[in-house]
Amino acid sequence: MLLNSFNLIVSIVLATCLVILQETMSNMLWLVSVDMPVSATIFLSTYFANLFAMNLAGSVPLIALIAIGFLIAYSITKIILKWVNVSLSYAYALAGAAAILAIVLLMPLAFYNLDILAGGRSILGKSILTFFGFMSGYFFGNTLEKNRIKS
Amino acid sequence: MKKLCVNVFMLIASLLLSADKIYKYEILAENLSHPWGIAVIDSKNIIFTELSGQLRIIENGSLNPEPIKGVPDVLFAGQGGLSGIILDPDFNINKRIYLSFSSPNKGEKTNTLEVISAKLNSNTLEEVTSIFRASPSRKTAAHYGARMAFLDDGTLLITSGDGFNYRESAQYLDNHYGKIIRINTDGTVPADNPFISEDGALPEIWSYGHRNLQGIVVVDGVVYENEHGPMGGDELNIAEASKNYGWPAITYGKDYSGATISPFTEKEGMEQPIKYWVPSIAPSGMTYYEGDLFPEWNDSLFISALKPGDVRRIVMEDSKFVREEILFDDVGRIRDVVSSPDGSLILATDGPNGKLIRVVNK
Repeated sequence: MLLNSFNLIVSIVLATCLVILQETMSNMLWLVSVDMPVSATIFLSTYFANLFAMNLAGSVPLIALIAIGFLIAYSITKIILKWVNVSLSYAYALAGAAAILAIVLLMPLAFYNLDILAGGRSILGKSILTFFGFMSGYFFGNTLEKNRIKS
Repeated sequence: MKKLCVNVFMLIASLLLSADKIYKYEILAENLSHPWGIAVIDSKNIIFTELSGQLRIIENGSLNPEPIKGVPDVLFAGQGGLSGIILDPDFNINKRIYLSFSSPNKGEKTNTLEVISAKLNSNTLEEVTSIFRASPSRKTAAHYGARMAFLDDGTLLITSGDGFNYRESAQYLDNHYGKIIRINTDGTVPADNPFISEDGALPEIWSYGHRNLQGIVVVDGVVYENEHGPMGGDELNIAEASKNYGWPAITYGKDYSGATISPFTEKEGMEQPIKYWVPSIAPSGMTYYEGDLFPEWNDSLFISALKPGDVRRIVMEDSKFVREEILFDDVGRIRDVVSSPDGSLILATDGPNGKLIRVVNK
C-alpha cells in the first residue's frame, strides 16, 4: 500500500515534470524561430523556474490538477481491471494518457476556449502531452506489475 | 461597546480621508449591463456601449431607457461583445459614430473583431457600413483590443488584440492579431501605411507585437496605448508607425499557468514600454485630461484599471513617465475613463450591474 502510494506520487511528479518540459520547449522553440538568443543555460534556468512557478505561482497548481486527473483515471482503471484481464502497464498507461488529454481538452471549456497550457494549443502539442501522460501511467502500471510478480 | 468604538473610529477615519479628496461622484446611470466604451457628445449627452450588445444614450442628463436601434448582432461571450465607440471628428455635422465588436461568423464557430461606421439619427443607427474585419477569424472569445482613436490626419486607429491562443501571430504581419490597424473612415487603406508595399503583409497594419490593447489616445500627434500583459507586464507605450512592441518575444509578464512565456525583456528592434506594471493592474480605458475642474490634473493621462479597480493618473514630461497617482479606488473595477468638455471625468464600472459615474470637484 505504502509502496503503491509512493509510486503513484512518483508517476504524478513525473507527469508534471514532463508536461512542464513540453511547455518550456514549446515556448523556447518558438523564441528560437524568431531569432531570440536562447542558450542551453537559458533553457535550463527557464525549465527550473517553470517547475517552481507552474506549481506554486500559476492560476492553478499544475501538480494538483494532474494529481486529480490521475487519481480519477487510475481509480476507474482499477475498477475496470477487476473484469478485464490486460497488462497493468498498458492499462495504466492508457489511463495516464486519458487523464492528461482530458486536462488539455477540458481546461479550455472552463476558460472560454482559452488554452491555459500554451504548449497544448496545437495537435502536435496535445499529442506530446498525451504521450507524456502515457509514459507516466506506464511507469505506475509497470511498478504495480513488478510488485505483483514479486509478491 | 467594542464594536461601537470600532465603528465610530472607522467613520471618523473615512470622514478624514474623504476630506482630503478634491472630487466627488455623481451617478449618471446604473444597473447597466457591462458598460464598456464611452463617447461624450457634450457634457449632457453621452453615448456608450454595453458589452452585451446594447448601445445606450444619456440625453440631457438622463438615461434613455430604450437602447439605440440598428446595432449589428454581436457575440456576447467571454470578453467579446459590443465594445469600443468613437465619434467622428465631424460628428456635429455628419452624426457618424464608429463601433467595434466581436462579430460572429454565421454557420461557423468562429468570430472576429469588426468595426462599423453608422449615422446616428435620433435613436436609430442608419447607413451601417462595415469598415474593418480582422483576419483571420478566431475560435476564442478573448483579447479583442477593440479601442479606437483618430490621428490628426483623420485616419482611424483600431486596436486589435492577439486572440489569446494566437499570441505568436502578433510578431507576423500576415494577420491582424496583436496589431494597431490604421484605416480611412470608409474602410480603405491609407496610401502611406507602413507595410503597404511589403510582400505578405496586411496593408492595414500600423504597428505590431501587441497583446490586448485596451486603451488608446492621441495627444498632440503622440499615440499612447496601454495593453494587458499576462500575469504582470501590463504596459503603457508610445505607439509609432511600423514599430514592433515585442509581444510575446519580450515581456515583463508570466503566463497564467505560471510558465515563462519569454525569459527576455528587451531586444534590439523591439520597443520598450514607457511604463510597465508587475503585478498587473489590468489597464482598460485611457483618456487625456485638459479641463477647468481639476487644473492640478491637467496634461495627465488617466488609465482605468480593473485590478484592483481604480484609475491611474500618469504624469508625463516630454512623453516620459514621471509618476503615477492612484485615484477613484472605491468604486470597483473600472472599464473606461473619458474626459468631458465641462472638465469632469466619466467612469464606467465593470460588470453586470455597471454604472456610469461623473467625477466633479467638491
